Amino acid sequence: MANIIDTTNYDFDAIVVGSGISGGWAAKELTEKGLNVLVLDRGKPLEHSVDYTGEHAPDWKFPFQGKKPRELYKEEYPIQSRVSHSFNEANRHFWNNDKDNPYVNDPDKPFMWARADVVGGRSLLWGRQTYRFSEQDFKANATDGHGIPWPVEYDDIAPWYSYVEKFIGVNGRNEGLPQLPDGEFQKPMPWYALEETIGERLKKKMPNVTLTNGRAAILTEDLPGRSACHYCGPCPRGCSTGSYFSSQSSTLPAAKATGRMTVVANALVDRLEHDPETGKISAVHVIDTQTRERRSYSARVFFLCASTVATTQVLMNSTSAVFPNGLANSNGVLGKYMMDHPLGTMNLGVFLDDMDSYYSGRRPTGLYIPRFRNVGEQDQDADFLRGYGYQTFVARLDWSARFNSKGFGSKLKNDLRKPGQWLWALAYFSECLPSESNQMKLSNKVDRFGIPQVAFDFTWGKNELAIRADAEKQADSIMKAAGAVLSLPASEGMSMPGEGIHEMGTARMGDDPNQAVLNKYNQAHDVANLFVTDGSFMTSSSCVNPSLTYMAFTARAVDYAVKQLAEGHI
Amino acid sequence: MNRREFLQCAAIMVSGLTASQLGIALTEEQRVYLASAPNYNTTDVDYLSEEQRQILAAMCEVIIPKSDSPGAIDAGVPHFIELMAADWFSDEERGIFDAGMADIEQRIPQEYGNRFDLLPPSDQLEILEALEEDASDHPWYEFGNVQRDFISDAPFICQLKELTIWGFFTSERGSKEALRYNPMPMTFDGNIPLGPNDSSWAGGF
Ligand SMILES: Cc1cc2nc3c(=O)[nH]c(=O)nc-3n(C[C@H](O)[C@H](O)[C@H](O)COP(=O)(O)OP(=O)(O)OC[C@H]3O[C@@H](n4cnc5c(N)ncnc54)[C@H](O)[C@@H]3O)c2cc1C
Ligand code: SF4
Repeated sequence: MANIIDTTNYDFDAIVVGSGISGGWAAKELTEKGLNVLVLDRGKPLEHSVDYTGEHAPDWKFPFQGKKPRELYKEEYPIQSRVSHSFNEANRHFWNNDKDNPYVNDPDKPFMWARADVVGGRSLLWGRQTYRFSEQDFKANATDGHGIPWPVEYDDIAPWYSYVEKFIGVNGRNEGLPQLPDGEFQKPMPWYALEETIGERLKKKMPNVTLTNGRAAILTEDLPGRSACHYCGPCPRGCSTGSYFSSQSSTLPAAKATGRMTVVANALVDRLEHDPETGKISAVHVIDTQTRERRSYSARVFFLCASTVATTQVLMNSTSAVFPNGLANSNGVLGKYMMDHPLGTMNLGVFLDDMDSYYSGRRPTGLYIPRFRNVGEQDQDADFLRGYGYQTFVARLDWSARFNSKGFGSKLKNDLRKPGQWLWALAYFSECLPSESNQMKLSNKVDRFGIPQVAFDFTWGKNELAIRADAEKQADSIMKAAGAVLSLPASEGMSMPGEGIHEMGTARMGDDPNQAVLNKYNQAHDVANLFVTDGSFMTSSSCVNPSLTYMAFTARAVDYAVKQLAEGHI
Repeated sequence: MNRREFLQCAAIMVSGLTASQLGIALTEEQRVYLASAPNYNTTDVDYLSEEQRQILAAMCEVIIPKSDSPGAIDAGVPHFIELMAADWFSDEERGIFDAGMADIEQRIPQEYGNRFDLLPPSDQLEILEALEEDASDHPWYEFGNVQRDFISDAPFICQLKELTIWGFFTSERGSKEALRYNPMPMTFDGNIPLGPNDSSWAGGF
């Protein structure tokens, strides 16, 4: 292939902006197909394993033995530190510094933009939940008229799901459910005794509900260069054995092995240059975040994979005489139809079962209850469209849940030393309808590099509220059927927009160039050598975690782009 | 293990061994490579007087005494609290802490005829129980009220208990000897017997 693609006039064959989940895939596929690729990332350089400085660190090695440095978080990480299940002193260096890199956050309509600031992006931080969209998901827009129809069907993408799953390594259990297609799974992780107990009860009392393994991009069997999980537990600190999928452990090493990848860190892309003569992108403009030096690089084809918000920011900032409203935005939909999954812990159940059963090892994923409402067709009793699923977690209380107990001395110490009750928690993730009014824009404020800051205008609609109410009701029934002695509703109200960290849809795909920014191969309708394969392209959101879908579409887009290059269409 | 040693391990890793083989080849120190970071509790601090240190140590030991496993003093908790008072507390919290220390320092010899740390255990317990009794309506004691950073207006006794218990169970000796500690379990088993005297696993905040 390499000889077909003439690089004499370009710095590289292809440029990939972003090295996170989608950028890593673009880099791997492009290099493996013979292209010389430059990967640019605004984040700091990071060396796999060497820079996981918090990995396996025991509590007593942390500043304040793990009590949060409150002042620092408030000053410099007020947004990122809200991701309390992932953000801490062990991995703070992976995250964006909010003070240095602000956006306009309207206090009346807050939006939580969680982002990484290292090569590897959020692939180092993610929860690794990995699910396929179903046939019903790809048909939803066309069926109920919200958003525009997907230009792709399940059958088109299924082989790419398989391709990606085999490489990243996903453990899980096949269930034969149409709403959650099976995939290429490694052996599932074992269950806690309490989960077995709950599973049995649900089978009898709520047969429409399936309890299955959370499908997670974590190895239970070795893959080349990566080994099965050693169950240490706190994954977002990085995983030097490569047991969970990250760009750092998997796609970037594969790309590097071809000898055709160049990675430049601290390289913030502020705009793309459109050449009105050829109608194509001719270069990217980059600011070195350390020296502020400006550079530009040229290539034949460009992949934007900087994550939904950042990619759309780059497009919006790349104005020209041809595209005064932002690159590839001749139809004006860029930035609109933004989505994020509403989520929340619905119920915490206390159980008195299996009290003399314990565990060893920390299983880094929970169980999953796939969508069971409006499956196939609309349920009679449902006053909402589409659906939701629950991620479920088991925990056995320890001292950290009871350190405010009364009492002193040996009795207190002994009580705190020993495990307490078992808990089972249900956290719902629901679909968000694509709505024109939910959008991001550029503001008049600029950041330290003179780039206009992003602003959000995003609120939950009626359907998202109605789903939440249903999820709450059903969670209570599930808890009761599961045998909880006490079922506590755990949180009130909607999550903050953005808090799902599944922002998507700002440069949606579709067959109609008047309504969509991208075509069905993630190629800009307006610009032949521009591809966008992060969450920006999403036309609907399903209720399952989206990153697997970004990866599958990225691999498919590269396949198409390289063929188009070879045939001289780009 | 320092960075250089770690790099040597990394070199073995890229030379094609799968990491599970490597896991077995690594020593405990090597696996927990952040062992190169200092133990937080060994940091120097000069916030309290010698006398206050004795008093604080005695109070911590009443909360978590030595038994068949180490107590607060063995685990370095008094030093941990002094560090937290110096570096971590907000002004408001530090004010409450200072006043609480001063109260014990001055009031106890008047009421009991001797310094707190020199009193018999029954008197020490009585004094802390009385403080807890007075504070018992404070929201600090509310059920489930543990998912937060700290309660800034929490009374002195609550500060003391929170930091003693936190400091103890996150210390090296508390984690390894009062709890069970295993950073690299290698396998997961969701159903093993729990004996009546078995403790929880440590770590992983
Ligand atoms: C705590 C947490 C838990 C999550 N759990 C899950 C989960 O369980 N399942 C799931 O599917 N998803 C999950 N996600 C979401 C998932 O991480 C994202 O969907 C995914 O990483 C998006 O991939 P991406 O390639 O679009 O962006 P990212 O992975 O964020 O990568 C984007 C990269 O682009 C770089 N970049 C940004 N702007 C520029 C610029 N202007 N110039 C150059 N480079 C730039 C960034 O530095 C970054 O490295 C989670 C996220 C977080 C934070
Ligand atoms: S639990 Fe498994 S996947 Fe997570 S960091 Fe440890 S070894 Fe890696």
